[in-house]
Amino acid sequence: MGFEWKVAFRFLKDGRGQTAFILLGIAVGVAVQVFLGTLISGLQADLINNTVGTSAHIIFSGDNGFSAESRQASADYTFAVEGNFRQTDDTLKDWRPLMDALDNQPEMTAVSPLVQGNGFLLRSGISAPVVFRGIMPDRANELYQLEEGLLEGNLGLEGNQIMLGTDLAEEYQLRLGDNVTFQLPGESRQVFTIAGIFDLGSQSINESWILLDLSRAQRLLGLGDDINRLETQIRDVFAADVLSEELEKQFQGVSIDNWKVQNADLLSALQSQSGSSITIQVFVLLAITLGIASVLAVSVVQKSKQIGILKAMGTSSSSASRIFLIQGGLLGLLGSLLGVLFGFMLTQFFLWGTAQATGRALFPLEFDPVSSAVIVAIATTASVVSALIPARKSAKLNPIDVIRG
Amino acid sequence: MLRLGEGEIVLLETRGITKVYGTVFKTTALGGIDLNFDPGEFASIIGYSGSGKTTLLNILGALDRPTDGSVWFNNVEVTAMNDRELAEFRNRNIGFIFQFHHLLPEFTALENVLIPTWIKTHSSTRQKEERARELLELVGLKERINNKATDLSGGQQQRVAIARSLINEPAIILADEPTGNLDSETTEQVYELMREINARLNTAFIVVTHNDHIAAKSDRIVEMKDGMILKDYLTGERSKDDVWQDVAPKYCRHCYKDSDEVNNQLL
Ligand SMILES: Nc1ncnc2c1ncn2[C@@H]1O[C@H](COP(=O)(O)OP(=O)(O)OP(=O)(O)O)[C@@H](O)[C@H]1O
Ligand SMILES: [Mg+2]
Repeated sequence: MGFEWKVAFRFLKDGRGQTAFILLGIAVGVAVQVFLGTLISGLQADLINNTVGTSAHIIFSGDNGFSAESRQASADYTFAVEGNFRQTDDTLKDWRPLMDALDNQPEMTAVSPLVQGNGFLLRSGISAPVVFRGIMPDRANELYQLEEGLLEGNLGLEGNQIMLGTDLAEEYQLRLGDNVTFQLPGESRQVFTIAGIFDLGSQSINESWILLDLSRAQRLLGLGDDINRLETQIRDVFAADVLSEELEKQFQGVSIDNWKVQNADLLSALQSQSGSSITIQVFVLLAITLGIASVLAVSVVQKSKQIGILKAMGTSSSSASRIFLIQGGLLGLLGSLLGVLFGFMLTQFFLWGTAQATGRALFPLEFDPVSSAVIVAIATTASVVSALIPARKSAKLNPIDVIRG
Repeated sequence: MLRLGEGEIVLLETRGITKVYGTVFKTTALGGIDLNFDPGEFASIIGYSGSGKTTLLNILGALDRPTDGSVWFNNVEVTAMNDRELAEFRNRNIGFIFQFHHLLPEFTALENVLIPTWIKTHSSTRQKEERARELLELVGLKERINNKATDLSGGQQQRVAIARSLINEPAIILADEPTGNLDSETTEQVYELMREINARLNTAFIVVTHNDHIAAKSDRIVEMKDGMILKDYLTGERSKDDVWQDVAPKYCRHCYKDSDEVNNQLL
């Protein structure tokens, strides 16, 4: 161990109370950073999971031949092109090769075709608006976790079988095996049998979705072999925008949308939350830095006699300054390590506390070793930086002034 | 100017050094000093307070720079070195003993002795530690090796400082009133110790002192006045009586009726 380390260590060890206080100060600051960081990232992860956990990340739908640009470019001729395509033109035709291709994309975790149409549930003179969603049960299960959400029945969906949400079932007192009449688009009526009741965690889904087999839905809605959308989930939800751009290059003639665009509001809210969290972290860091700087500034004065002797005996100015940089670094490192420990304990205590109060943890909190390591690294660096001024003082100290007494 | 014989190596030499303190109100602390010190020499610098002794010693020890003139060590010009080189020069060639001990209170006696080796090599070896123990034994502190510096008496601390000044085996040790705040008994012990080291290791000593007995017992006396050398002579070239007449305070010049008594006092 180098001589500067030896002296730095000894100075810190010898300044017991002072060292303990500043270590505690750093530890408390870092604990707040760790706790706050864990809390906010837990909260955000929970929100994101609620938003995209069981919904599509990237959605493929039909492109009627006009990209957004060409639509705009042709704005002058709108009157001329308007009649040339119908609303239904944005269905996906010939989608099976696309689905196969997407199945082979390593990023994709679920690919599920969807046919969608609006209708009404007819029951004792009342009609309730519903959304028919034709699915391939196995594929949709991967995306919506149907199996987990299924309260009664099974995923079979053969013939006239449908699944509906628990809220709808409750409202209209529908039970497994009941036959229910629906009005389809185009005034036609159809009777379905309830083969399953699900709870997908969202009230709007639970009171409006009617799930039925894809091919049956295609027939009922008169789509032939077309579908409305291909819904997909991907491994890294936040890469949705980047991945969609890549996919747009790969697959022409489809329009690709992603959850980030659809949830821009949520994302910007999360971003501003992260922003305020970072602001707090920065100010905590600033407080730590100032604390260390002031403690070391005092220490340089206290140790000026020692520094003077060391210099008289041949310690160079850079060496003398390093003694204080090392002290700063040591304080930062030890303090922030202690702080991570405190922060970890604080999150555990918080989890325990909320579990005590509400019966279950509000949302899962995951201790993130990487971000803790980053905090330790930043705090240590900041501590070394904060030691720069005391270190300069130490470097400038003239041994003669000390020796004269 | 004094040389101990032509052709001998000069250890430390000053050429016309002056020191002026302050920029607006100038104090001339040294007014042109030419001095030579030889290897193994034991010299005392005496003179009234404010005569420039500490200023001279600090310049000799490369702790301070003269306003004018140069300092040479083994024919190398010390005054031409930059600060970093000066620090290294001090570490390797000069041992310091200060009036107020100036041990590092955070460290033990042994560690304090080792500090100059840490500075020199950035590490410490078993041999160096062994040497430090020997030196502490030499200064009579075998039993106090692991005491914190603050747990030692004034005389003990000064002896640790002497051991510390020796660890890097410097050619010369500069001591500024090393016994200034010790009682006469301890003063005598410290002086004897320095003399012993001087004899055994041939380390040169330049000791600034107000203690006339120590001065009278050195090989050479340099007396300063108002930043100038007033007298500079070898004690061996004069009778002890004569030397005593020279260094003793005026009120004491006639304290001793015959030279026997002077001799007793000097021994
Ligand atoms: N840093 C300084 N600034 C201004 N003047 C100084 C400084 N240091 C010393 N002096 C002056 O230089 C002169 C010589 O001082 P020096 O300390 O060398 O004397 P000294 O012989 O060691 O005295 P003493 O026996 O009291 O220690 C004195 O007049 C002193 O006031
Ligand atoms: Mg002095």
